[in-house]
Amino acid sequence: MTDISMHLNTDEIELWAQGLLPAARAMHLADCSLCRVEAERERKVILQLVQLPKFAPSAGFADRVMAQVKVHAPSGDWTA
Amino acid sequence: MVAWAKQGHDAAFRELVRRYERPVFSLLYRMVRDRALAEDLAQETFIKVLNGIKSYRPEFKFSSWIFKIANNAAIDHLRRKSIDTLSLDGAPSAETPDQVRATSLQLGDRAESPLDEVESRELGTAIERAIARLRPEYRSCILLRHVEGYSYEEIAETLDLPLGTVKTYIHRARNELRGYLDDRRE
Repeated sequence: MTDISMHLNTDEIELWAQGLLPAARAMHLADCSLCRVEAERERKVILQLVQLPKFAPSAGFADRVMAQVKVHAPSGDWTA
Repeated sequence: MVAWAKQGHDAAFRELVRRYERPVFSLLYRMVRDRALAEDLAQETFIKVLNGIKSYRPEFKFSSWIFKIANNAAIDHLRRKSIDTLSLDGAPSAETPDQVRATSLQLGDRAESPLDEVESRELGTAIERAIARLRPEYRSCILLRHVEGYSYEEIAETLDLPLGTVKTYIHRARNELRGYLDDRRE
């Protein structure tokens, strides 16, 4: 059993930031301003990272790829 | 879908490109911070994946296999670029003072390079600029962890790194990001 007074380690802070830290350990944050500040800073960075957008390549990307891929027809013939 | 692609169906190949083009391109774009180059590397990645699909082993996640090839392409490019252009005294091939200046290492600039208008819009936010300042190894780990939602174990398998190294890289990367973002606020 983990002592409630023990500071959170980096793995636990990440779990807390994702809402996955078991309640028994999360209770430590109520009493420890050091861990609370640390966890809050970590949560902000993680939140910014998970909200990063996905970018798309320019139009016709798939066609440019397919033009250089050897398509193996199910019959066994290779076509460029 | 992968099994279908392994039989050589054109439609399956296209579907795989459709599914993975955004995550693969996004990873590469954030690694090299140049749209045209990221697109070339993404193209190279897909060509390698699709032409070599018969060698894909289904015990591994297909996305891990694609990200491994994409990440290798980015790291290879960054290493080549660093050897070719980043030297304190300029590249060995530099002959004029301008060439020497252009190829000299400017301490502290890491992966930051001038961005064109579209790139500035896309990669100009504080968090994107902070990511650009990370070592490439940290960058791929943190992107796979928090943008792609990979577990530490999956990242270790994808990047061929020991699990402990992945954890260290990710913790250090987050610390550095916090530092860069805090600096900006002060």
